[in-house]
Amino acid sequence: MTRHRRVLGLAAAAIAALTLAGCATMHVRSYVGRDADFGRYRTYGWGVEAALPTGDPRLDSNPFFQERLRTAVDTQLAARAFERIDAAEADLLLHYHVSVTQRIDVNLIDQKYGYCEDCRPEVYDAGTLTLDLVDTRTGRLVWRGWAERSIDGMLEEQDWMEQQIDEAVARILARLPRTL
Amino acid sequence: MSRLLTGLAAVVLALTAAGCAARSAGSYVDRGIDFTQYRTYDWGPADALPAGDPRLATHAYFQDYVQGAIERRLAVRGFGRPASGAPDLLIHYHASITQRIAVDPFDREFGACYDENCRVRVTDYEAGLLVLDVVDARTGRVVWRGWARHGVADILNNPDRMARRINEAVTGMLQTLPAAAQVTAGTSSLQTGGKE
Repeated sequence: MTRHRRVLGLAAAAIAALTLAGCATMHVRSYVGRDADFGRYRTYGWGVEAALPTGDPRLDSNPFFQERLRTAVDTQLAARAFERIDAAEADLLLHYHVSVTQRIDVNLIDQKYGYCEDCRPEVYDAGTLTLDLVDTRTGRLVWRGWAERSIDGMLEEQDWMEQQIDEAVARILARLPRTL
Repeated sequence: MSRLLTGLAAVVLALTAAGCAARSAGSYVDRGIDFTQYRTYDWGPADALPAGDPRLATHAYFQDYVQGAIERRLAVRGFGRPASGAPDLLIHYHASITQRIAVDPFDREFGACYDENCRVRVTDYEAGLLVLDVVDARTGRVVWRGWARHGVADILNNPDRMARRINEAVTGMLQTLPAAAQVTAGTSSLQTGGKE
């Protein structure tokens, strides 16, 4: 019984540790339109720059962020044999959105199982980058991929920010249903 | 006695932390741009960033403080207003205040607790953010953006402290702005300007 409990506790702690690491690591996910035929798409174009505020004025209309992102996306899509052409003629329209929100991680599970030495709630800024692909013929969203991670300290360092943009874009677009 | 001391130490540290936690600054630069081509600047129209906080927008001195601090630091970096004609650079800034959350990290480490459970205190505070954009007047491109963030709780009703804080923020952020083309005349005019 005690042994059983300990195993459970350890498992919970392991999960908690993974979740905790969660605020420092990047999570990448995607949705795909079930009836979308990705074999049909060959070309893409950039949609109009989203005017939505990011939630962080440091990133609002920030050309250093935007240009790095566009270059990273163009590189990744070219590697997957997508050709960038004028948006009016393209098969796919590409949009992105960035948002920043402050989150709290209270480390509840860790505290319960005494797994952490330093069981304090943590506050961090979570940044989310979302890439959308819209079928220009039907106007439907056919794919959405996003990456989320703590951006604490990232906006202080241009080099680090750029490296994280590259990594996020590469990992998001690696999930595109396209095999070549 | 020693408990009281520890308690005091914790309070002092907590106060320090409230200031430090909120303080950060950074900048981005267009790496492909040669800054030595720029010498003059002027204030450009404000951009489309979300509107600043009304407490700053209607503040009697805030805008003067910010503009004054920026102009002084730009002079130190070698930038001046154009004697005639168009400036090389246009600058504009944006200020905002957002509510943020902080976790007090010191109570536990120093064993000084507010209650017997020694719970962590989660507090909220208001952080002011100042963003300065430097735009190439010819191409319209933002070639540099600097920002500084700091808690504003103790400065909104204290003009002197506000002026000091803004000076620190602007000085810190403009430290990373590449210096302008070296013009000896610019430096000397700054020095005489101070005496007038």
